[in-house]
Amino acid sequence: MLKKNTRKISPMAKAAVSHYIEASEQLNKESAQEEVVACRTRAQALLLTQAFPTLRDEAWQYTKLVQFVQNRFEVAHLTPQQHGLTIREVQSFLPPYQAIKLIFVDGVLDKALSDDCTALPKGLSIEFTREAVQSSSEVEVWLEQEDLVNSEPFGVLNNALLAEGFGLKVAENMAIETPVFVLNIQTKLNQISVLSNRVMVGKNAELTLVEHFVTLLNEAEQEGVEACTNVVTVMDIAESARVRQVVLQQQSDLGYYFHNQFIFQSEQSDFNSFYGGLGSQLSRHQNHLFMNGERIENSQNSACLAHQKQLVDSRTNTQHTQEWGASRQLHKFVLADSAVGVFDGMIGVARAAQKTDGQMDNKNLLLSNTAKMNSKPQLEIYADDVKCSHGCATGQINQDQIFYLQARGISKPKATEMITKAFLMESVETIDRKDIQQWVAQEFSEALLSGAYFKTDTATE
Amino acid sequence: MLLTIENLQAEIDEKQILKGLNLDIKPGEIHAIMGPNGAGKSTLASVLAGKDAYEVTAGSVMFDGQDLLELDPEERARKGLFLAFQYPVEIPGVSNKLFMQTAVNAVREEQGLLALDMFDFDEYAKDKIELLEMRPDLLERSVNVGFSGGEKKRNDIFQMALLQPKLCILDETDSGLDIDALRLVANGINALRSESRSFIVVTHYQRLLDYIKPDFVHVLYDGKIIKSGGFELVHELEEHGYDEIIQQSK
Repeated sequence: MLKKNTRKISPMAKAAVSHYIEASEQLNKESAQEEVVACRTRAQALLLTQAFPTLRDEAWQYTKLVQFVQNRFEVAHLTPQQHGLTIREVQSFLPPYQAIKLIFVDGVLDKALSDDCTALPKGLSIEFTREAVQSSSEVEVWLEQEDLVNSEPFGVLNNALLAEGFGLKVAENMAIETPVFVLNIQTKLNQISVLSNRVMVGKNAELTLVEHFVTLLNEAEQEGVEACTNVVTVMDIAESARVRQVVLQQQSDLGYYFHNQFIFQSEQSDFNSFYGGLGSQLSRHQNHLFMNGERIENSQNSACLAHQKQLVDSRTNTQHTQEWGASRQLHKFVLADSAVGVFDGMIGVARAAQKTDGQMDNKNLLLSNTAKMNSKPQLEIYADDVKCSHGCATGQINQDQIFYLQARGISKPKATEMITKAFLMESVETIDRKDIQQWVAQEFSEALLSGAYFKTDTATE
Repeated sequence: MLLTIENLQAEIDEKQILKGLNLDIKPGEIHAIMGPNGAGKSTLASVLAGKDAYEVTAGSVMFDGQDLLELDPEERARKGLFLAFQYPVEIPGVSNKLFMQTAVNAVREEQGLLALDMFDFDEYAKDKIELLEMRPDLLERSVNVGFSGGEKKRNDIFQMALLQPKLCILDETDSGLDIDALRLVANGINALRSESRSFIVVTHYQRLLDYIKPDFVHVLYDGKIIKSGGFELVHELEEHGYDEIIQQSK
């Protein structure tokens, strides 16, 4: 307690805090249910005492927020504006497979661009945060994990600005075959999109959720800092339910991205997730996974590709609380130029969680001498009959492999691209739906083929 | 002349390995290079293929009318120089098929030919697969990953058959092969013999040479060719070893 009170907050951070509190206050003046106003107000108080993390906070020692704090983004959904996007313009961001599409532009749901949510497959219902906040009795769902969400600094900010996002619900015993695809487009500079998403998958039900984050700058936008996205997803996976989640973050290389996921699994459920991080100057994707039941399975995999001065931060916290849980993780980073990667993974095994089988691997490929990887895989085990492993390896491309390909007529950049792609694909191939896997693989291929990641490498030869 | 090596000198980590090597190869000829360990046989193969760990300090190499040493490894390959590796490299995650399709198309582009798509490539590769009795699944698997020693060497000869080079350099391709694998590899090489295609076969042993009957045999020692002759030189070496020839050359 003493520590919190004595926390020093810089004038810059104070200004940012009052900027966001003001926005939160303004939201509170709009129509919203009492408990929502109370939740935002509590978050304001936390923001005031904590402000934003600095390099002195252990969890943020490699992830500098100075720029973020300095920028003071406009809250996008406070003053929604006409974006004028047509379906044709967003077409290239849509997947080649069939999906139920929800499209958010600048943090606000666009009903005209999205699929008709009154004609959903049986068993699936979608409610939007904006409506829930204003009038729905379902609002409880958004507030249930308030304290937990507030345990993360960007969760606090998310609660303070709670007003947009979606809620997905799958009824018991219903398998939704068609994936739900959520596209988030940023079109303006200097703004923050705040999305508060909730997902509830009933007993023995099935859901596939794909989230795609992109930037499509409006031509009128000339100067400023690129947009920021702050997402909180709370997911509840009931007994024997199966959820497959793919998040592909391809915002502009100058954007910001913070995503906190809080996932609760009940017994015998299965959660299979993949995060692909390619965009943003600063991105942090974080899973907090609670395995609250026996015989739970999950896999959390990621592939991150960064260059120039991008910082990619991917982290997981996996808590085994009961017997016979199995968790699998493979996190792969490819870093070019002066990019920085951060991986932080924790597998916790409670005393009661005997027969736990946990595995976490982090493998990194550095394409330049100036790229940097910070990796911290951790195990915290209180049970005595478990099988847990963690590993981390960072290296450069094997020059013998490059020469072998060159000796067959393949150019050095092409050889580097082939080997890099193969490295990333090991993680991409954990996506167990072929159509989605191919789509993600294609997005990585295109990024690699752009040549942006190999320039320095060939220039120095 | 397809290949003219004059006074070639090369070093690795500031240690000189090749000390003034001369060799002329005409189209259609097969040259065997033998010699004791450390003579510089593999260095010669690597220098010709363009491995950048080696530094050429003097001499020249003309290949098909151009200065070979000026070219990047991939340009050498595209112009028809092929190295079968002593230790073929494993590349996890890259399928053998994609690898070879990419390579074949890189060479075709150089020759001004259209790229082969997946189906054209399958058709093109078919008889080469049969020639080397390759298991079809080896094409779908990652390059050399989980291949036996023999399968790796066969895979290299298969690549040679696909790329149709002008000059094939085989760097101890016969080492570590059992009799059956050796026969398959030798058959592959013999099937590729032609009036316009030349070979440099680097080896320690007579066995492979018995199958492919080289036109010329050279003894490499201490970075130089100290004796050249016909196929009969192989038998002389088998009988007396390298010592006699080395003594004579001093």
